[in-house]
Amino acid sequence: MEQPRQRTLIIVLGFCLAIAATFFFGYRAGRTARHYHRQDEPIQPWMSVPFIAHSHHIHAEILFQAIHIPPNPRDHRPIREIARAERVPVGELMRELRQAIANGKAP
Amino acid sequence: MLDQLLAALTEYGSPALFVVVAIAALGVPVPVTLLLIVTGSLATQGAMNLWVAIAIAAVAAVTGDQIGFGVGRWGGKKVVARFGRLLGNPERIQELDAKAKRWGGAGVFFSRWLVTPLGPWINLASGAAGYSWLRFTLWDILGELLGAVLFIWLGHLFSDRVQEVGAIFGDLTWAILGILVAAYLGWKLFAGRRSAAKQPRSY
Repeated sequence: MEQPRQRTLIIVLGFCLAIAATFFFGYRAGRTARHYHRQDEPIQPWMSVPFIAHSHHIHAEILFQAIHIPPNPRDHRPIREIARAERVPVGELMRELRQAIANGKAP
Repeated sequence: MLDQLLAALTEYGSPALFVVVAIAALGVPVPVTLLLIVTGSLATQGAMNLWVAIAIAAVAAVTGDQIGFGVGRWGGKKVVARFGRLLGNPERIQELDAKAKRWGGAGVFFSRWLVTPLGPWINLASGAAGYSWLRFTLWDILGELLGAVLFIWLGHLFSDRVQEVGAIFGDLTWAILGILVAAYLGWKLFAGRRSAAKQPRSY
């Protein structure tokens, strides 16, 4: 008699957990969708300069110039790689890119 | 790890896409949905060809799935024989085999693009349950092709918002999985209560 009761308890717990997970992920998806397009796509170290330029609707040349790299639309190196090659902290490169984007978008 | 995978995809394109999607199909926990959405964005930027990217993603996923199915087919039986007692008696194992064969097609198809976290497990289970390789491959190709078209196309459409779109779809996948698990467990509870009510009470 003990075993079916234990089994039922586990199923009930699993059921509650599944419902909670559904609400949690559903809510998070809805929240992200609601804030969609309100803020710029964050710059990440895996992104290349043309990728960042595309995400922020700005010419890649402007961004290449901002980080003192010869403009090349075929340069798909992630900015982390560029930072390593140029011996610059990736955070500094990201800051320069954010600044160039803000300047490029300013009226 | 996600950061490295996305960096490899951005820098090396198609070869990286093939390797990452194939290892994800083998069961390595990689957010493949986000990777496919980023691929769509890269295609919009001209770094990759859209149709070639779709073909590579589908072929890579089917390759990984086939390896998973093979492992289940030739290694899975041994595992079931060794740990079979954990699943129940031989009748229970036969019942699970029959269920896998009956629901195999739908399970394979929907786990390719709708509930992707289940994909690698369904590959192993289908192989171990002796599900027809031909049917598995047919549903697998259809599902993976749909998944590749869906997510890469989404990335192509929302190419300047890949992180947000990836986050929304990642969360939706888990929410759908939660609904399916809740529905299955709810049905189990309901069936259990009904069978208990049918049994005569002993006083």
